[in-house]
Amino acid sequence: MKTITLSFLSISLLLGAAGPGFAGSVEVQPPFEQPILLTSAGQSADVQLANVLLKKAGLTFSLAKLASAKDLGNSRTLVLVIGASLKGLGAAGLDMAKEKERVSALFTAAREKSLPVVCLHLGGADRRGEITDALIGEYLPMAKAVLIVKSGNKDGLFTKLCEDKKIPLFEVEKTIDAADALKKIFKPLS
Amino acid sequence: MRPENGLPAGAALKAAILGLAALLLLACGPMVPAVTQPPADRHAPFDYRARTAMVVAANPLAAEAGRDMLKQGGNAVDAAIAASFALNVAEPFASGLGGGGFMVIYLAKENRVTVIDFRERAPMASTKSMFIDNGQLNRTWRETHGLAVAVPGAPAGWDYALKKYGTRTLAQVSARAIELADKGYPVGPTLSSINKDEYERLLANAGESTVYLNNGLPYETGETFRNPELARTFRLLAAKGVAEFYRGPLARKIIEAVKSKGGIMTLEDLALYKPLEVEPLKGTYRNSTLYTIPPPSSGGLHAIELLNIMENWPVKTWGPNSPQYIHHFAEALRFVFADRERYLADPEFVKVPVSDIADKAYAGRVAARIKPGVVLGAYPFGPFEAKHGRQGNTSHLCVIDPEGNIVALTQSINFFFGSCISPQGTGFLLNDCMDDFSEDPNGLNAPGPRRRPLSSMAPLILFQKGRPVLALGSPGGTRIFSTLDQIILNVLEFGMSLDEAIEAPRFFSFSTAGKAEPVFCESRIPEDVRRTLEQMGHAISMKEAYDKYFGGAQGLLLLRGGKLILGGADSRRDGAGAGY
Repeated sequence: MKTITLSFLSISLLLGAAGPGFAGSVEVQPPFEQPILLTSAGQSADVQLANVLLKKAGLTFSLAKLASAKDLGNSRTLVLVIGASLKGLGAAGLDMAKEKERVSALFTAAREKSLPVVCLHLGGADRRGEITDALIGEYLPMAKAVLIVKSGNKDGLFTKLCEDKKIPLFEVEKTIDAADALKKIFKPLS
Repeated sequence: MRPENGLPAGAALKAAILGLAALLLLACGPMVPAVTQPPADRHAPFDYRARTAMVVAANPLAAEAGRDMLKQGGNAVDAAIAASFALNVAEPFASGLGGGGFMVIYLAKENRVTVIDFRERAPMASTKSMFIDNGQLNRTWRETHGLAVAVPGAPAGWDYALKKYGTRTLAQVSARAIELADKGYPVGPTLSSINKDEYERLLANAGESTVYLNNGLPYETGETFRNPELARTFRLLAAKGVAEFYRGPLARKIIEAVKSKGGIMTLEDLALYKPLEVEPLKGTYRNSTLYTIPPPSSGGLHAIELLNIMENWPVKTWGPNSPQYIHHFAEALRFVFADRERYLADPEFVKVPVSDIADKAYAGRVAARIKPGVVLGAYPFGPFEAKHGRQGNTSHLCVIDPEGNIVALTQSINFFFGSCISPQGTGFLLNDCMDDFSEDPNGLNAPGPRRRPLSSMAPLILFQKGRPVLALGSPGGTRIFSTLDQIILNVLEFGMSLDEAIEAPRFFSFSTAGKAEPVFCESRIPEDVRRTLEQMGHAISMKEAYDKYFGGAQGLLLLRGGKLILGGADSRRDGAGAGY
């Protein structure tokens, strides 16, 4: 597994700090490629937040809150914003079972196209809850990298899941910091 | 209306004594200092205690603003309006100048209850099909569009109450809120979370530069929120009066903002707005009498109707949140919602059969239809002669002053952050209360010129032996009256303390077109109870352990003849009490 060392201090690679295999971290090229397909798992408004952050990061992406396999198009990375909102699900005419069905199908399609999935959790502690945690438990283990706002990891849920699956976990202090973090983990378009 | 004396006779007497005993037991709790601090676990039941006066509100800064007004010699109305101004700053997503509401006032010296209705009204140009777009209902127009904005009533209602029943000026009651808006305060998890929820709507209407976003992003917990624009607006109102809002430069800014987002409100609509003072609606539950608000809110009437139905059953024997209790309550709610759908609208335009719906004999007939252990599945509305023709996001506060005057005030801008339209440079948000009209253009509650949209708000004051014992209210949309009745039954039947009653797990159900909807349950309702309900035929829909869906209630329980005041404030939001 590759280790990503980012050059700014506000991001810490927890796995690198925690796992014995990471004692000698090395700098590597950003592993993820553009264009990106941005979608939600749970239909919270955090996907809109990610939309703004990806724009601030200057990344090339398309947003499809209810993305299906056909939306993957020529995307090189799938970014999944995890956060459940009963209101958002209701507005989309979905329940949690249908949303899981959609997201699971999207994961399958991404895997078939060998597209990596990056999971984001941007809402911090405010955006944890039983339903969101269920989505985290289901989808996070399939990600190639995870980027979160630190306060959402007070109970160590993200750390544990990422350690178990050896997934790089990036933490930022504030939501706005995620823009820089995203910029650093995606290769510039050539 | 003057509260009556007297206990009910006959079979109700035993239950009445039990209810009183529960209250007396609460009164005999350990002596504590007049002002106490809540526990670190915000969900742990905690009754604020005071001897003289108290304010409970959905935010501690508002409760403190109200308490300080009381300490400065203001009365309950002064404190309620001071807390309302402060809520506009500290809980801006739920209520404020751009909204409306209802207040129930108990005037101790006169032993009289009155109601001030400052509900929003539809613009004159409203039509019943105004939300139909190419033959389809356009939900965005109802929620996040200029058409969603009804004529606000809050400034006029607050001003009316202050002038008629208060003792302070607008400048005095708004001073603390102005200071708060200028200096700012650290954002809590509730505001941060709701700010994130409504981010997309805020971006769409208020834009990235709005004070309700922090450099274009939602506020994080701990960041400082300031609203100098709102402070300027408050100063303007304090100096020149609320006419500025309805006829002055502020009115022009409101109309400009509404029209720029496709709305139809005019300067004339604003100039025509007047609050109403009306008689309260009265109901009883065993030995208690409650006074609440009449239509155009359905909340008061249905709180009474639901209690009337519940009165027919051995609720205490079943126990709190037992399968039989939830089953009967949910089935009763489904009948109540059938009546709501059939009969409720603005009584200025539609004859609402209030006395029929609040009738005890009718409630007895509904109760007799409901079967133990089986979901009926069909819920006809009441067979009254036809005479004519949904995440609730509101705020409630209660105040008692040293004279024993009480205010129970519920107000709203409807959805969190209302329509997300904020008139340029004013710092306040306009409501989206037009969404409270029926989606069906042919429904009784369809929009029309100057109509008040149907509400579910239900601020109430409950009396025993002619004395006020409980003031209560909640946000929560159509869940409001279900939530309030669950709290009332938790106190009166199950002997819970007020905050225990408020924090207890909640559930809700309703009917649509006579068909049962699921029972929505907080996840703290035990799995075996949920399973038993499913065996009875209920579909179950799970909510979070403490879910804002069920509202955020605030209440005051008055014991020992009002000498001990217990305040309950809901941890589902940032409820808090402040007293002395």
